[in-house]
Amino acid sequence: MSEIWKNPLAPWRGDAEPQEAPSEAYSDPGEVWRAKRQSHTKLYKVGRLRYYHKWRGHGAKTWTRTRYWPTRRRVLDIRGEYNPKILRREKTIVDKRPIWWLLSFIAIAVAPFLAPKDLQSTLISAGTVFLIYAAINLCWTLILGTAGIFSLATMAVVGAAAYGAASMSVFYGWPWWTLPFVGGGIGFVFGVVIALPATRLDGFYYALLTLGLNELCRVYVVQSRTFGSATGGVYGADSFIPTGASQRVELIIGYFASFALMLSALALFRFVNGKRLGRILRMAPEKREAFAQAVGIDYRTARIQVFIISSVGLGVIGGFYASYFHGASPSLFSFDSVLLGLAMLVIGGLGKAEGAVLGTFIVIVIDKVFLQLGPIRLILVGAIMLGVVLLLKNGLFGIKHQFRDWRDKKKSENRSTRAEKGGEMLPEEATEAGDKDLIYAQRFDKMQRDYLKGVVSEKLVEEHARNPLGQHSEPLERLLLYFRRQPQVDKYAIAVIEPFKAYRIVALSGHRGVAPRVVEEKTYPSEREAYHGVFLRRVQDLLES
Amino acid sequence: MAQIKLFGYTDKISVRCGDEIKVHVNADGTDTADAQLVRLIHGDAHPSGPGFIEEEVACEANGAWAVTKQYTQVGSFLKVVDSERVLALDGSFTLFTYVWATLPAIGLRQTMIGRWDIRSNKGYGLGINRKGILEFWVGDGREVDSLEAEVPLMARIWYFVAVSFDAKTGRAELFQEPMLNRYNSLLGKVAPIDYRSHVAETLRFRPDNDLATPFLIAGAQDWHEARGHFVAQCFCGKLDRPGIYGRAMARDELAALQAGNRPADGQVAFWDTTAGYTPHGIGDTVVDTGPHRLDAQGYNRPVRAQTGYNWNGRNDCFRLAPEEYGGVEFHVDAMIDCNWQVTRTIKLPDTLKSGAYAFRLRAGPGRGLAEEYVVFFVRAKVAKAPIAFLVPTGSYLAYGNEHLSFDAQIIQPMTGQPPIVDEIDIEMYKNPDFGLSTYDAWEDGAGVCFSGYHRPIMNMRPKYRMSSMGTTWQFPADLSIIAWLDKLGFDYEILTEEDVHVEGLAALKPYKCVLSGTHPEYVSERILDATEDFIAEGGRFIYMGGNGYYWNVAYREDDPSVMEVRKLDSGMRAWAARPGEHYLQTTGDKSGLWRNRGRAPQKTLGVGFIGEGFESGKPFRRMPDSYHRTVSWITEGIEGEIIGEFGLAQGGSAGLELDRYDLKLGTPPHAKIIASSGGHTDNYVLSVEEILYAYPGMSGTQDYRIRADIVYFTAPNGGGVFSTGSIAFGQALPCNVFENNVSRLLKNVVDAFSADRALPGELWVSDEKQWR
Repeated sequence: MSEIWKNPLAPWRGDAEPQEAPSEAYSDPGEVWRAKRQSHTKLYKVGRLRYYHKWRGHGAKTWTRTRYWPTRRRVLDIRGEYNPKILRREKTIVDKRPIWWLLSFIAIAVAPFLAPKDLQSTLISAGTVFLIYAAINLCWTLILGTAGIFSLATMAVVGAAAYGAASMSVFYGWPWWTLPFVGGGIGFVFGVVIALPATRLDGFYYALLTLGLNELCRVYVVQSRTFGSATGGVYGADSFIPTGASQRVELIIGYFASFALMLSALALFRFVNGKRLGRILRMAPEKREAFAQAVGIDYRTARIQVFIISSVGLGVIGGFYASYFHGASPSLFSFDSVLLGLAMLVIGGLGKAEGAVLGTFIVIVIDKVFLQLGPIRLILVGAIMLGVVLLLKNGLFGIKHQFRDWRDKKKSENRSTRAEKGGEMLPEEATEAGDKDLIYAQRFDKMQRDYLKGVVSEKLVEEHARNPLGQHSEPLERLLLYFRRQPQVDKYAIAVIEPFKAYRIVALSGHRGVAPRVVEEKTYPSEREAYHGVFLRRVQDLLES
Repeated sequence: MAQIKLFGYTDKISVRCGDEIKVHVNADGTDTADAQLVRLIHGDAHPSGPGFIEEEVACEANGAWAVTKQYTQVGSFLKVVDSERVLALDGSFTLFTYVWATLPAIGLRQTMIGRWDIRSNKGYGLGINRKGILEFWVGDGREVDSLEAEVPLMARIWYFVAVSFDAKTGRAELFQEPMLNRYNSLLGKVAPIDYRSHVAETLRFRPDNDLATPFLIAGAQDWHEARGHFVAQCFCGKLDRPGIYGRAMARDELAALQAGNRPADGQVAFWDTTAGYTPHGIGDTVVDTGPHRLDAQGYNRPVRAQTGYNWNGRNDCFRLAPEEYGGVEFHVDAMIDCNWQVTRTIKLPDTLKSGAYAFRLRAGPGRGLAEEYVVFFVRAKVAKAPIAFLVPTGSYLAYGNEHLSFDAQIIQPMTGQPPIVDEIDIEMYKNPDFGLSTYDAWEDGAGVCFSGYHRPIMNMRPKYRMSSMGTTWQFPADLSIIAWLDKLGFDYEILTEEDVHVEGLAALKPYKCVLSGTHPEYVSERILDATEDFIAEGGRFIYMGGNGYYWNVAYREDDPSVMEVRKLDSGMRAWAARPGEHYLQTTGDKSGLWRNRGRAPQKTLGVGFIGEGFESGKPFRRMPDSYHRTVSWITEGIEGEIIGEFGLAQGGSAGLELDRYDLKLGTPPHAKIIASSGGHTDNYVLSVEEILYAYPGMSGTQDYRIRADIVYFTAPNGGGVFSTGSIAFGQALPCNVFENNVSRLLKNVVDAFSADRALPGELWVSDEKQWR
């Protein structure tokens, strides 16, 4: 139904002012409010009880914080905050890993004494292997995770160092305590040699190369007379385990020595990954190296340094291995130990100390404890690895993060199915709004738009085209006031290309310092036409919302 | 190659011919610029007018100038003059301050007090870290060690914070306690918040104090290879009475400090922010009352006269209780003076005609950002002409580099149109180096109360159009009046408000007739006094604008380049000063509207602000009173009753901001309304100081008060006042090559006002005894 709008200014200016304009009949803006009586979707209660304890703040009491001597690190990273729901003071332990590590260390320390008598030797020796492999994998994960170099030559370094150290002891009678140093030296040389192609070759080719190197080592020691092609290894190296001790004492000493080895590897991991080198490399993750380089990060040197440091660490472990096992065997280089090692890392998650240790633990338990399962153990390891690769993004320790991402994804999916586009907030969204005023602002805006959509008509568009500025009919004025009152973000404006000759529509950023963005390439020859261009866009946006 | 951009400013805004003037230029993408001295005649390029008119003037400085890139220090802070390096504290110490932070959660480090070098990581500092938590940090150049409080600082809450550091043991203790009272903070007692935090820790590293690092309050030193040293990590909010002790204080001593008991034992410095207040305001120096007298000097005008931690709502001015006004407010984006290197010092020709001048700089394409007009005003060496145009420099400052189109959600409903922005607006919005206007808010939402001209003011340029209104505004609009005076061949000179502020009545006295600008909204008491005295002593004043003589502003005695205003209580205002902060730090005067101090503009000019709208302009129609012979000479030669149905500002001579006759506000009782506008649209709304209750219908088509009145009255000693009551009036003058009825009307008045004889029509004083 249409009506004629009479311009209240008509008497003032005679013909200069439009006397009247075809317009729409009055429609009551209150109608949308009367009509809307409930939400379009069912609203559920939100809110959750806390099922765990949080400590309150210290208030007036002095909170004396302690650090790990001699570092700057606080024993626990604790965040003090106000609970946004009730403003109560709370403390959150941001990183609980130190607690888990401590509990794990205690468990490792007491485990040998708690093992059932009949299984004790199996379990302790499995534990020892676990600890040594954990140490190896900690160094390896530095290479794979931190440095991002896909090297499979880890066991080659360990093996070479073990063979070298064992040979020194066997052929030259060097005492046991020199062996880790010998191993370290060999590790360094190997590290430098293997690192060189890493600067040239990428991912897959480098993995193949290092795998080949590993195989080369194996074939070499199997065929070499010196390295015991006949005896199946070099044996008879000096050991830190006193001769003549009982088997139990031997096992226990070996176990705790390996424990110390793993702790040293952890310390190495911490010093490389948690300090400058690690930080540099975190700035240059895979596929974003070019950006890192552009901002002046020398990630190549850092990668090589990490690789060499880890190789030295692996060499030391090799030396320790030779000393503990009184020698070295070709099985060190075997393909299955490389693959098992890789499985350990993948299961736990690359680049994380806890991942390397837990992955090692799981694989060793399956491989060395459930001996009675026979070869099916390896299938089990394979199945776990496959499952991890297929289902998890970053190993077992990525589960928490992955779960949260997945939950967030589901959350936004659910919200988008429940929420109306441009409509009111749902209770679950409202609870996240810091300023509750926004919740009402959205409701009001929705009602306004619902009303104004019914007001838009060809006649109003024509009226605006005739007279973008000045007095307008009531419905057009309402529409324009709504448009003009919108928040600044993405609000339309006009940019001058050439004064009085060419204009273009832009959208304001709403953020100081950020220039408006160009909305369309079209240019308008006058201010008047640009005003109308903006109006048409705004009408279109309204109708689309 | 980088885009070529040129920006500049002069050291003085008002000079006499033959004077020396210094020009500061910043150049991007070029090292030379072509300079030309020009006299600016008309500034509005609107196609319905005569277009942009300038006149090149011979000057020794014309030609190529060597220009360079210049850097601007943004952010306000206090710098302590410490030549003896007393504050290079190598032993134990205690730092403390009261603090009211406005943006603790912004996610950037903010240094409150300290001697910290960001680049070398040397020194010590107390501030807010990126998590919004109070933090104390020290650095020895290689390693940085820090201690943070337990909970984040809440915005706009007064706290007492301190750190006590024992250099021997390395133990540091943070002390954070709220200083909330019923008045001073955002929240009251009912919010269940525990603000307290006391954390102690043994630090591993000790500060190593560089010799050259300055001690700063609300910032820390940084360095850039092209720029050298500058200040970063600026703090947003208020600090009150910071200080230092040369020993580690125990918890109970800190509690005593919090309570205001400051022992002399071990005091190194105590910046008593409440010291130095006079009944006439306070400057930029914050006094150290400690033993070494290490006064701190403000940069970019930290705001003083702000309420302190102990303000309790009773006293509303520092004059009543300076001890409650220790708050010094800092802003990360405050910019008062660019402090650029002088590019060129020029001796102006001795023969320059008084007028609006500029050095026109061009480089590369020579248009857009590659063209700059560095504007200044030249007054006569000795006043000779009968007519003066009074340039409203205070209002140019108030609007200097405004960002309304970009930042203010209210601007589109207010102006009734989408903004039209150009390259310069966008550049101004992108770049914080140009500072803000008194229509903007600082980063933390507080209104900007200072504006100065030692920076490029982009909207004080010819051709510039105010983006939100699509018309010229202030300087470029005022050029329409200058062009009119010029084209009609009047003998006129130019005078700025700064001259009147500095010299008082003496500056106006030599002239018979003074014309104001189109929108002289911001005037100091001295300017208002001088104008009133000028009229009362026989001067003739033509008020050419709308919404004039509205805000009370202040200039510092030693530095008229910076204007201060506080917007409060009522008036069409971009922001509202906080409770207790309504007095100008510059003079101790209450700011706000002159009307609210008993000096409504009607008292001086006969008309005062009534309403504004920006999408249309309307004509005036003669009022019956204009036919009286005391005033009928004003409309001589004008056919019909309609006046000014045209104009470069929205097509009408009555538009933008309108002033009205009002006996209740002091329009002299004998004043006559010559003509009034009408038929204004609903975009024109009543100004808020008129409104007690808001009710529907207070807009142009329904409220009779919304109109511009052209008012005339005679003043003592042969003086007279003619007021146009509309900003758009001036922009109607150039239409039809200055030949139109607005021009005729004004010419009648200027001719009469500048003549050396009594005003016409003054003999027609008898009672009307007429047959009709």
